[in-house]
Amino acid sequence: MNGQLLISAIVLGLSMSGIYFLLTVGLSLCYGLMRMISLDQFFYYALGAYMVYTVTSLTGSFWLGMLGAMLTTLVAAFVVERLIVKRVYSKPVMFSMILTFGVNLLGVGLIKYVWGLSPKPVASPISGIMNIFGTGVPIYRLFVIVLAVVVYLAVQYFLNKTILGTAIRAGIDDAEKVEALGININRLFTLTFLLSSVLSALAGVIHAPFVMVSPEMGMSITAFAFMVVIIGGLGSIKGTMVSALIVGQVVSIGALIWAPLAEMAPFLVMMIILLIKPTGLYGSKLMNR
Amino acid sequence: MKRYLNSWSTIIIVFTLLYFLKAFLPAAFLTEVAIYSIYAMGCSFLIGRLGLTSFGQPAFLAFGAYGAGIYLYYFGTNPFVAILVGVLASVVVNMLVGLFFVRLNSSYFTLCNQAFCVVTFFLFQKALVKWTFGDNGLLLISRMDPTPVIDLTSPKGIYLFAFIVAALVWFFYNYLMKRSVFGATCLCVKDNEQKLRFLGYKTYNIKWLAFVIANTAAGLAGALYTVYFCMVNANIASVSSASEAVAISMLGGAGTLFGPLVGTFIFIGLKDIASQFIRHWEVLVGLLLIVVMLAGQKGIVGSLEGYLAKYTAKKSEPTPALTQEGGV
Repeated sequence: MNGQLLISAIVLGLSMSGIYFLLTVGLSLCYGLMRMISLDQFFYYALGAYMVYTVTSLTGSFWLGMLGAMLTTLVAAFVVERLIVKRVYSKPVMFSMILTFGVNLLGVGLIKYVWGLSPKPVASPISGIMNIFGTGVPIYRLFVIVLAVVVYLAVQYFLNKTILGTAIRAGIDDAEKVEALGININRLFTLTFLLSSVLSALAGVIHAPFVMVSPEMGMSITAFAFMVVIIGGLGSIKGTMVSALIVGQVVSIGALIWAPLAEMAPFLVMMIILLIKPTGLYGSKLMNR
Repeated sequence: MKRYLNSWSTIIIVFTLLYFLKAFLPAAFLTEVAIYSIYAMGCSFLIGRLGLTSFGQPAFLAFGAYGAGIYLYYFGTNPFVAILVGVLASVVVNMLVGLFFVRLNSSYFTLCNQAFCVVTFFLFQKALVKWTFGDNGLLLISRMDPTPVIDLTSPKGIYLFAFIVAALVWFFYNYLMKRSVFGATCLCVKDNEQKLRFLGYKTYNIKWLAFVIANTAAGLAGALYTVYFCMVNANIASVSSASEAVAISMLGGAGTLFGPLVGTFIFIGLKDIASQFIRHWEVLVGLLLIVVMLAGQKGIVGSLEGYLAKYTAKKSEPTPALTQEGGV
């Protein structure tokens, strides 16, 4: 293993961490506020990737595609929330899990109808290569890392400094008291759900140039997303960030050592962490609702 | 009425009727129903009696299937032994995996299970590709010797055998769910684990044993699958089929005795009919899951039992027998 390979693996790992973070921060937010596990985030992820493919091939601009993907997902998530998810906020967590998994499957099927089965390529919008310690690194990967950091800071700012974010954090602590203060908690739920879905779509958009866009992409990233969520602890933004960093590095450096290790190693890490702490690194005592 | 519905003779009658349905329906379909319902039974037990939802059932199916497949491909030719090896392999894996998974609370359990399913898929597809041949799989045609008594290499033999095994599994689960103390404690774990722990039960052990029992059913179904189809490939553990067992359980009614059978019958029937019209099967499974969950999550058998209980309660009040046995 030489130094150049290691550096490029670390950068790739960091950019994968960025994507994992964007995808799982939605899951974490939804769990934190609504105590639901929203598996349909993976549908928004795939939808985002497909929309950026469509818009990019129509207009030629990746950035327009990004905007289009986020807007489309916003609409789709709003429809799903109004029609289906709204009814299960007060139900046990198992209920929302099965239901949103159904939504995810439905979405995958619909994607197959609309776009077909064949994988679609998306060109990288930034093509330059930057030199880091004598190793050529695509600038796009660095852009992904920067974007994830910006999103992390923005989410933290939103939750800690704005009045809406404060209301959401209060809702996480005690939903009933927040309602008693005259805040419409259902509107907060909708807002969080939409925010999560848009972030998931963003993850799909920026992941699209790395891989071929295919209907099963949402399914194949599920395992990694779950590992990130579990290692970090459900409902914790900081934990999600830390564990995304861990999983990204384990995946890319593991792949460097032995290719099948890329899928196995994060699972082993997850098992070890769960042995030490069954609620993940930053997870608090969870209530069983 | 309810007492008769759950008794041993009902199981025999139901499975005999189903066996002779082959006069009207294709035998291949019925064999698949018999095998798949064993798989669904385990999942249904986990959801309905233990309160643990597992989206990773294909992984446990795969260990049974590969146990049987690898025995037949490399070591022997007797399909009975192959099924035994498959079941043993799945028991060992379940015991080890259960040690880790059962400690988790229900949301973590579900997510870990699905992650495990993906890891199993990669294990059989990529990591062990030298022995399992990945997506091409192990082809076992003409690797099985004809067996005495019931010839598992013939379609008729496997048909009979699948039904016998399914009926035995049903006897076992009937005992487990309706008669045994263990089944009752499982239900207590679902309702109030903390209280049970306070009463001095070791809930970890109960959950671990239930996990092993439920997933061994999946392993058994997997081993039967291998023998029935004469092949096994990595797709058996694919995540996209992870929801099928859950969908069947919810459709039939999780935790009920005949729920998995009814659910499997309808599900595989729908799949066979619909696949002639619809290209992408996920849409239907997804819709089914959404409809069943929004319609009240009791499932077909669950709602039927509810009506029946109401009906019999109205007819003969008071009903001390019902309150004793109405454990659902």
